[in-house]
Amino acid sequence: MDILSAMDISASGMKAQGARIRVISQNIANADTAANTPNAMPYQRKTVVFKNVLDRASDVEKVEVSKIKQNQGDFRLKFMPSHPGADENGYIKIPKVNTLIETTDMREAQRSYEANLGMMQLSKGMLSRTIGLLEQ
Amino acid sequence: MLENIGLMKGIGGKMNWLQQRQTVLTGNIANADTPNYQAHDIQKPDFGAVMSKAANRPRINQLSTNSAHIGGERKVGEVDTRKTKDVYEAAPVGNSVVLEEQLIKAQKTSTDYNLMTNLYRKNVGMIKFIVSK
Repeated sequence: MDILSAMDISASGMKAQGARIRVISQNIANADTAANTPNAMPYQRKTVVFKNVLDRASDVEKVEVSKIKQNQGDFRLKFMPSHPGADENGYIKIPKVNTLIETTDMREAQRSYEANLGMMQLSKGMLSRTIGLLEQ
Repeated sequence: MLENIGLMKGIGGKMNWLQQRQTVLTGNIANADTPNYQAHDIQKPDFGAVMSKAANRPRINQLSTNSAHIGGERKVGEVDTRKTKDVYEAAPVGNSVVLEEQLIKAQKTSTDYNLMTNLYRKNVGMIKFIVSK
């Protein structure tokens, strides 16, 4: 457990939060992706689950994405008879993506990313002060 | 040579401890959104006892080949990581990492580390000054 492995952990945290932001962007981008045929399912909202893993090489606990969960069958109905995916009553299925929730989640991911970045900078400062002991 | 001076040993030990703490706190922050993750911290060693022992220790030390041996020199670096019991709050998902708490601890660690490196530098400067006379 030294400072270099601390920077490794920060990097793993930033990578995980980056994956989370990517999935949230996917959700927002596909907020209106409806099915093209009446029986097909529309885009399904995805959520990221993290897990804590022990990196045996450096004996530290890192974080990684454990799974990307699809919220099956979670959709809303919208009246749009001219759409190719509309059923006999004129309704289409659109994903249940709440842009407000996604944006809030995105902000949270961003904060966590910044915290990881801050820790990396602190660790880097400690390392460079140690190296600075040489130049006296 | 320098590591035989008690003060230098103390400073080195504390620097080692601070680095380990920084690593543990970094792990907490990286796992800030992991379900069921409990925040960790490392045990505080008694630096006062280490210092007084280093200052008053007998000239000849018994060699210790295992950390469990009694009578050997006391090392500062040997600490174990524990789950923190007294945390600010825990999320419903079972995660007890609060970013603010961890960042404050990390900032403290970094400041202490800065202090230690400066102390080390000062001490080496003093020794250099004496040697150059």
